[in-house]
Amino acid sequence: MIELEHVTKMYGSIPGIRDVSLHVPQGQTVGLLGRNGAGKTTALNLMTGYFPPTEGKVRIGGKDMMANPRECKRMIGYLPERPPLYDEMTVEEYLSFVSELREVTRKANKEHVNEIIELCTLKDVRKRVISHLSKGYRQRVGIAQALCGSPDVLILDEPTVGLDPRQTVEMRELIRKLGKDHTVVFSSHILSEVQQLCSRVIILNAGQLVQSIDLTEKPTDTLKLRVRAAGRKEALLGALQGLPCVLRAETAASPEAGTAEFLLTCRTADEQGRATDQIFRLLAGLNAPIRMMTEEKDTLEEIFLRNT
Amino acid sequence: MNTIRKRELQGYFYTSVGYVFIGVFLIISSILFYVGILKPRSGELPNFIYTMSYLWMLLCPILTMRLLAEEKQKKTDQLLLTSPVSLPGIVMGKYLAAVTVLLITAGMTLLFVLVVAIYGRVYPAELAVNYLGFILQGCALVALDLFLSGCAGTPVTAAVLAYGANLMLWILDEMYSLIQADWISEILKFLSLYRRNENMIRMGQLSIAAILYDFSFIAAFLALAVFRLDRKRYTR
Repeated sequence: MIELEHVTKMYGSIPGIRDVSLHVPQGQTVGLLGRNGAGKTTALNLMTGYFPPTEGKVRIGGKDMMANPRECKRMIGYLPERPPLYDEMTVEEYLSFVSELREVTRKANKEHVNEIIELCTLKDVRKRVISHLSKGYRQRVGIAQALCGSPDVLILDEPTVGLDPRQTVEMRELIRKLGKDHTVVFSSHILSEVQQLCSRVIILNAGQLVQSIDLTEKPTDTLKLRVRAAGRKEALLGALQGLPCVLRAETAASPEAGTAEFLLTCRTADEQGRATDQIFRLLAGLNAPIRMMTEEKDTLEEIFLRNT
Repeated sequence: MNTIRKRELQGYFYTSVGYVFIGVFLIISSILFYVGILKPRSGELPNFIYTMSYLWMLLCPILTMRLLAEEKQKKTDQLLLTSPVSLPGIVMGKYLAAVTVLLITAGMTLLFVLVVAIYGRVYPAELAVNYLGFILQGCALVALDLFLSGCAGTPVTAAVLAYGANLMLWILDEMYSLIQADWISEILKFLSLYRRNENMIRMGQLSIAAILYDFSFIAAFLALAVFRLDRKRYTR
């Protein structure tokens, strides 16, 4: 749905992003991560056609943004970092204006706006002047604005920044709901948020795409476990290595006196049952009570810190 | 384009700008009317309209200062530039909104004409030409000031630039008699907006050349405004 092909954007002599290529298929929700100044906003602005790339091509739904700006822009709803609101208008007037701008016919306009107001729970403020709204409501009107004209693609620049915890949760719910029938790209600083909402994460650093991670990856047949049990290190290590499902076992430093800690790489399950169950039975038989057993995962945080 | 024109026009009357513009124009022109027509009991409308036409110079910047500069300042241009609207559509919409306010104002000054018509004589054909020049003069200044609003970063700088430009055009008119080099003064004479419209406004002489000049002036500055917006997208 969205394609960037070797896109570079220069701000004068300073590169905003450099040679970024990416492809967002239809229906996917993609999170854009990166430190401040990594080029997230630049990337989003390029996708929406706010400014053209210095080099490279932007395609929306297979159409070139430079050649068919109108058709491309029709497919996109954009919530910039700062919602583009006209303070002197009421919420309803504003949404009706944006709908008209996005080529909703005059006849359908009223109903369209009503639907959006319903979806974004703006009913209570529909007649209020925008300048009187709180930050949370402004942000919601911003999202509502992006929905005007029923675009297929939603591009949201840090949609949860500056909201209180409840509003943040509500906003996430809304994004999740919208993700069901839209292609969504949003940028964020909050890793857990991205993990909750996205099927894919793209990490930008210093204007370059450093990693694209599929979060829907199927579970592999091996897993990494960290196990801590009371008992003598050498004896337990030998016993664990003897288990058929354990591919590799190594010791790790344990913070608790009188215990030993191990890092195990094992097959998730074999004919004798799950690896975790087997380890439990083995250690129970050795009278070595398990103090802790957790799965070791590459967290998004680790990946992020490694890459930026 | 029409959507934008409607919103801008609404904006003029949601904020005080539209009322201030019309109000101030009418107050000052009332004073001019009193001094020029009522007090000396004269029916010299063309002269009065000519004096009024100088008010455009003072008030048009108020009308145009926000149009493009504020979009940039408040980043609402992100909405317009990522919507399926063309740049000429945006500029035209804004221009027409400002011109609508200007026409409303000009329409209200017909009240003065009415007073003269009741107590004296009005020559409709001459008056029509007077008004045509009067309105075209305003429309031309709005186009120029709109372009300058696109060049400025904030509404205040837009207003200052617009005042500067309007006054500059006026001062140039006074300058060309002082310039020794004939060819320069000829060029200035050719380019002078105020002089060209003066004959229409003050003398009631319908001049195709002046009308053509006004329309080209307007078209040129609107095109420049579009060009400027487009350039800005590349150099942002």
